Amino acid sequence: MTIVAVEHLSFRYNSVEVLSDISFDVTAGDYVGLVGPNGSGKTTAIKVILGLIKQTKGMVSLFGTKTNDFRDWRRIGYLPQKHTHFNPHFPATVREIVSSGLFSTKKFPKRIQRFDEASIDEAMKLTDVADIRHKLIGELSGGQQQRVLVARAIVNRPELLILDEPTTALDPEAREKFFQTLMGLNHNRNVTIILITHDIASIGKYASKLLYLDKQIIFYGSFEDFCVSDNMTNYFGEFTQHLICHRHD
Amino acid sequence: MDIFSFFQYEFIWRAVISGSFIALVCSILGVLLVLRRLSLIGDGLAHVTFGSVAIGLLFKQHPVYLSIPIVMASSLAILKLTEKAKLYGDAAIGIVSSLGIAGGIIIASVAGGFNIDIFSFLFGNILSISQAEVLTSIALSIVVLLSIFFFYHEHFATAFDEEFAKISGIDTRKINAILVLLTGITVVLAMKIVGIMLTSSLLILPSVTALQIARSFKSTMVVSSICGIVSVIIGIYASFVMNLPTGATIVMANFLLFLTAYAYKNAVQRKYH
Amino acid sequence: MKRSIVSVFIMYIFLSLIFLSCQKRETVPAGDKTIKVVTTLFPVYDFAKNVGGKRVQVELLLLPGMEPHSFEPKPGDIRKISDADIFMYTGKFMEPWIEDVLKGVPNKNLLVINTSMGIALAEDRDLAEHHKYEKKSGSQHEHHHEYNGKDPHIWLDFSNAQTMVENILNGFITKDPANRDEYLKNAEAYSAQLSRLDRQFQEVRASCKKDMIIHGGHFAFGYLARRYHLQYLSAYRGFSPNAEPTPGNIIQLIKNFRNHHLNYIFFEELVSPNVAETIARETGAKLLMLHGAHNISRSEWEQNVTFISLMENNLKNLRIGLECQ
Repeated sequence: MTIVAVEHLSFRYNSVEVLSDISFDVTAGDYVGLVGPNGSGKTTAIKVILGLIKQTKGMVSLFGTKTNDFRDWRRIGYLPQKHTHFNPHFPATVREIVSSGLFSTKKFPKRIQRFDEASIDEAMKLTDVADIRHKLIGELSGGQQQRVLVARAIVNRPELLILDEPTTALDPEAREKFFQTLMGLNHNRNVTIILITHDIASIGKYASKLLYLDKQIIFYGSFEDFCVSDNMTNYFGEFTQHLICHRHD
Repeated sequence: MDIFSFFQYEFIWRAVISGSFIALVCSILGVLLVLRRLSLIGDGLAHVTFGSVAIGLLFKQHPVYLSIPIVMASSLAILKLTEKAKLYGDAAIGIVSSLGIAGGIIIASVAGGFNIDIFSFLFGNILSISQAEVLTSIALSIVVLLSIFFFYHEHFATAFDEEFAKISGIDTRKINAILVLLTGITVVLAMKIVGIMLTSSLLILPSVTALQIARSFKSTMVVSSICGIVSVIIGIYASFVMNLPTGATIVMANFLLFLTAYAYKNAVQRKYH
Repeated sequence: MKRSIVSVFIMYIFLSLIFLSCQKRETVPAGDKTIKVVTTLFPVYDFAKNVGGKRVQVELLLLPGMEPHSFEPKPGDIRKISDADIFMYTGKFMEPWIEDVLKGVPNKNLLVINTSMGIALAEDRDLAEHHKYEKKSGSQHEHHHEYNGKDPHIWLDFSNAQTMVENILNGFITKDPANRDEYLKNAEAYSAQLSRLDRQFQEVRASCKKDMIIHGGHFAFGYLARRYHLQYLSAYRGFSPNAEPTPGNIIQLIKNFRNHHLNYIFFEELVSPNVAETIARETGAKLLMLHGAHNISRSEWEQNVTFISLMENNLKNLRIGLECQ
């Protein structure tokens, strides 16, 4: 099933063309690494897909419906870029934060029912924060905090998870653990993942597909195809291509 | 002063009852305000009330009835300033607050004076509460508690991470507006009943105390309420026994609670490090 | 960026100048020979008007309704004082801001009259009461006095008021010796009115069943109570109405009210009668106003009340409140 379909998408802002005629599809179960240099339009593309900003030209659909008409936002989990929006000294426990992902979709009055408890527990287990459920967010490490936010994003059991540079503030160990979690979601729960990152080297290890964006699509396809492509060798140079592909083995 | 005579005076009873309800309201709103760096909004809106009372007296309308909509509009203005003018809460409060008091002074001057001293009109005293004011404080509590209770999760989500809340479908502008409007009504009414010093400190101190020791957001709300009510009761009793001004004694009781919580937190932390 | 900042400033200054230049400026008609007097409190204002008569133009600094103990002069007030011929005030304890303000007034010809000259100020009598009370309940603590414990409400003892009139008279004579006789005549006539007022008070006092005034306001009537041998209890220890009463203060008033079998308690002017109402609720007392004449309200202003008329009203209320003939 096609989860995301982008057709001839262009976005112009203040006479600067940020995105130029982009087209790609994301199928269920894909784990797409969306990479590109700074200012290449990655975050913009995501925001257009999510309907947060409006495209200049082209069409985007989610789960077969045009973004404008899409209403079933519960099927999508989103981790925006600047993750330190929240005040780390906020007196909330892990469990309270994860639960807060549930309530937006509930009708008035909003009560936690038994199956909600199960969702919350599952989300915490999947992201390996169940042991620290009663700890305050301020007492956690950066890696743990990020996993809590992922738990919050997935507690509604979305089918599509979009993360915008979620590991920039994490140390290598935490980063590793974070990617493991995402792998678990993708392999065991068939959650489709689109992950924006700078770290083209390590995304190679996990993602099934690579979407390289620099105002236009430079490459979109499986990693295997990336690694044998002569075009890519010409574009990136042998050393860089080898660096990416070496990690993917 | 023996403990039995404490209970025989009606004005003491009213102080305890009304004071407790107002403390409850302020403690709960205070948690949300302090976390959003709007803690001085109590003082700011009090200054606006001064200006609005001046307007009311100028047009010979009942000042309190006119104050409420003006103060509510000002609280929305503060919100707007934080959103549109890219200001933090304290600066936005400062702008509206200065405007309120300066406006009031100018109006008083232009009007050529009034029949009563505006300050005395505004600033109630916890020892001189009427029956009607007791009922008002109870009604106010019910309104505020119900609003927060029904929108508890929205308030939590918005206070914790506004962008995520917005993305997950919460009308954060509505939630923010509810918070500041409730604060506005609370400030106008509580100021007239127990005075501005007490109102302002009850909006800040109990929640700051709770933040020292609470282990979850829910418990922060609960601990804050308890601190507020306990400080009022202890403060009234202490002022009775030591013959001190009651409002100020309650503020001191609050501060001592804060010190206790802070010391406790530090002691506990030291144990673990 | 810099250009827009500069243009904002220029625009602001430009608009301000236009706005300000359109303001009406009060012009003094040429050939005006009256003496301009600026006064601080209402009694001083009223006395000056009576003594000066048609020869003076008296202005009151306090706006109607304004509470005088926390008054702070604005630039306009300082200019008014500076433009005047004579500036009269109550005393350094009532208006402690006087010295600083006068330093900033450029007018070297300004005659400044301290109307309390020659009057012995009373100590904080409430303090004496308070010490008695404290010793009984056994607690000791520090006191903070606003004005070194001196009661500034001198005008409420009418013999003091007469001294104030004399000081005012001397002021006018110094500034305008040519009309000395006229001022003397006015002062004598007014002093006689004050004497008559005093006699009325004495007469009524003689027949009063009760001799205690319970006042929900600040400690203003110390002098009046002393002169007419009345006991006086007020809710606030300090001399300013912005202080907070303690539960002990209120309970003390309630106890005294009951012990002396009173039926009335008094509240003060201009300020919300919160404390008086509290005591009334507790005891069933009826409320009467005792006007301290510091300042008057807007409606009183429009009704042209005078110091004497305010005191006569007080007498009427005291008569009822103390149950006299």
